[in-house]
Amino acid sequence: MNIILFGIVNSVVLALLASGFALVYGVSRLANFAHGALYILTGFATWLFMNRIGLNYLLSIIFSILIVTIIGGMIYRLLLIRVKGLPASEIIASLAIGIAIMEIFRWRGFISEAYMLPPFIKGSLSIMGVVIDWQRIIIIIAGLILMLSLWLFTHYTKVGLSLRAIAQDRRASMMAGIEPDKASVIALALGSALAGISAVVILPLGNITVETGYSVLINAVAVCIIGGLGSWMGVLGGAFLLGFAQILSTAFLGPNWQMVIVLLFIIITLILKPSGLLGKQKRLEERV
Amino acid sequence: MKVIRFDNQLSKLLLTLFIFLSAILFNFSQTSIAQPIVLGVPISRGYPDGVDAERGITLAVEEINAKGGINVAGKLRPIKLEIMDTRDLEPGVPVSEALVATERLIIEKKANFIVGGPIRSEAALAAMDVVSKHKTISILSAGVLSPAYHKRIAENYDKYKYCFRTTGSVVPMIEGAVKTFELIKVKKGFDKVFIMVQDVAHARAAGTALKDGLEKKGLKILGHEVYPTGATDFSVGLSKVKAVGAQFLIPWFDMPEVSILMKQWYDMKVPALPIGYIHALQDEATWKATEGKVSHSVVLYAKAGSVATKAIPMSEHFVSAHKKRFGTEPRSEWSSTSYTVVYILKDAIERAKRLETDAIISALENIDMMGTYGRVKFDPKSHQIIENGDPKETAVSMWAQWLDGRRVIVFPEKIAEKALELPPWMK
Repeated sequence: MNIILFGIVNSVVLALLASGFALVYGVSRLANFAHGALYILTGFATWLFMNRIGLNYLLSIIFSILIVTIIGGMIYRLLLIRVKGLPASEIIASLAIGIAIMEIFRWRGFISEAYMLPPFIKGSLSIMGVVIDWQRIIIIIAGLILMLSLWLFTHYTKVGLSLRAIAQDRRASMMAGIEPDKASVIALALGSALAGISAVVILPLGNITVETGYSVLINAVAVCIIGGLGSWMGVLGGAFLLGFAQILSTAFLGPNWQMVIVLLFIIITLILKPSGLLGKQKRLEERV
Repeated sequence: MKVIRFDNQLSKLLLTLFIFLSAILFNFSQTSIAQPIVLGVPISRGYPDGVDAERGITLAVEEINAKGGINVAGKLRPIKLEIMDTRDLEPGVPVSEALVATERLIIEKKANFIVGGPIRSEAALAAMDVVSKHKTISILSAGVLSPAYHKRIAENYDKYKYCFRTTGSVVPMIEGAVKTFELIKVKKGFDKVFIMVQDVAHARAAGTALKDGLEKKGLKILGHEVYPTGATDFSVGLSKVKAVGAQFLIPWFDMPEVSILMKQWYDMKVPALPIGYIHALQDEATWKATEGKVSHSVVLYAKAGSVATKAIPMSEHFVSAHKKRFGTEPRSEWSSTSYTVVYILKDAIERAKRLETDAIISALENIDMMGTYGRVKFDPKSHQIIENGDPKETAVSMWAQWLDGRRVIVFPEKIAEKALELPPWMK
């Protein structure tokens, strides 16, 4: 029961971390390497709103997510649009923005272990003898709500449908009057908002550090590589595969095997199915 | 309108007087401001350990300069601080950055002495050659717990005699820790141990050394797990601790994510006392940040002094001065060691009565003064600070327990302020 419960939590955490990255790539074919930086930016912004300005927790969260959403859209509109179509430049540019954001926090002295967000609900509960804190339960609920909302958004709203159209067939959707740059701005903003939502839900488990930004990016990329870039179900599959693999390796091999397992999964996926479990990007090449 | 005119001769007289007075004043200012002693501080400024060390050094320098400076053969000379960022604690930054910073301090900034860092063992070991090449005395006061440091000095004294270290080595630290666990075993009857360490060289080595040391003393090791740096879930490990019935949970981590371990330990009410080198929990702000979930955890500090104790008067002064200057109590042990290191240097210079390298080395080898962590004495062969459990005799490490929002010293007994307490669910 312990493994099942914490395996689900770990998998949902990974799915949340990867969802924003996958959305941006799915729509704009752009690997946003500033994803981890936007995650910690939300964390630090929430902390600052609460502790320096004195806003309540809910307002701090709302303002932080709004700010990160706007920044995400601006990153595309002002910077990434200029290197669009040059994959290496896109990666370098977004990574540079991410590093700049993270290192500004380090430079401004955000390096203490004391930057923490409070849990939404204090305390813990026992499920079939396994004690689990409420924040982890909230993570599972938030993950479910977020995935359902995204599905509804991309299937039943005009904007969501246009994003799906761009992701499925860029040329055809352009012929139908959908502006790809506008869609990319929306995707970057939404992806950043997802990074922000993940941050405020997950960060109360631990503390906010600059290094967290780097590990979030690594985890998001790992999930997307294994699950398949551009596939929602792939992201979920990859997150659950990795999440349970990490928990099982901790239980039976030792916690230091966690990272080995992640890298092993990436290598095996790239050898056997470079497009990932449910990815669509290289399916043609794989067939050839 | 009335125009004031000076007599021509009076103007000349005034001008001459002005030039004469200016010359006297200029000459006076030249003679009264003595040449400063330059302290080079190569430190990783982007990390808490670096900031802690920088604060300790800055505070000591400000105090000494407020009293006129260091008395070198009857002449007061102020201290000038030159701090350079080595970035040696940042992941992926090559050791060469720390070496360049150290060498620039010596060549460009004309540092008379190097104090503080580099903090990472690999960088500090490499910097030994740089300071020795320039015959510049270096006293480490942050990080670097590797036994290799003083071993190199002892094995090649003539080459590395310029290097001193006040932070201590992991060897006496582990010996002290084993003694502490033995003491708790006698008092509380605990003998079942579960070790959790971070996957970094010093923590892995400490975990193995602890395991061997505790087994020799009759304690049972029921688990020994290694966690990758950045691990964010300890639930499976904690469930094992609970299942095997361990009474001691010994974490050895320097990563900030260890606060998650403590929160999970608290939420799961694991009946094992967390006691170990839990670096992130040394911070005064930890209690508030974790909403008290660190309660009853016991944290090892490589050196005492960052929590005030009546047994060491200088620690009381340091903690209160730190709070006044920076608004918070000192965080890690490196604040205390870095504060004392400036006073160590002051003491050595004042006894040597000159800045000549060999004279200062000799003065440091024969030092005997009270610091924030007890009596300061160096082993003359390895230049390693001497330590055991009595601050009147040598330097001491410290175990502080989080109780009611405060860090309370519980070991060693010579400086303890209170007896060790168990969490409510272990009573």
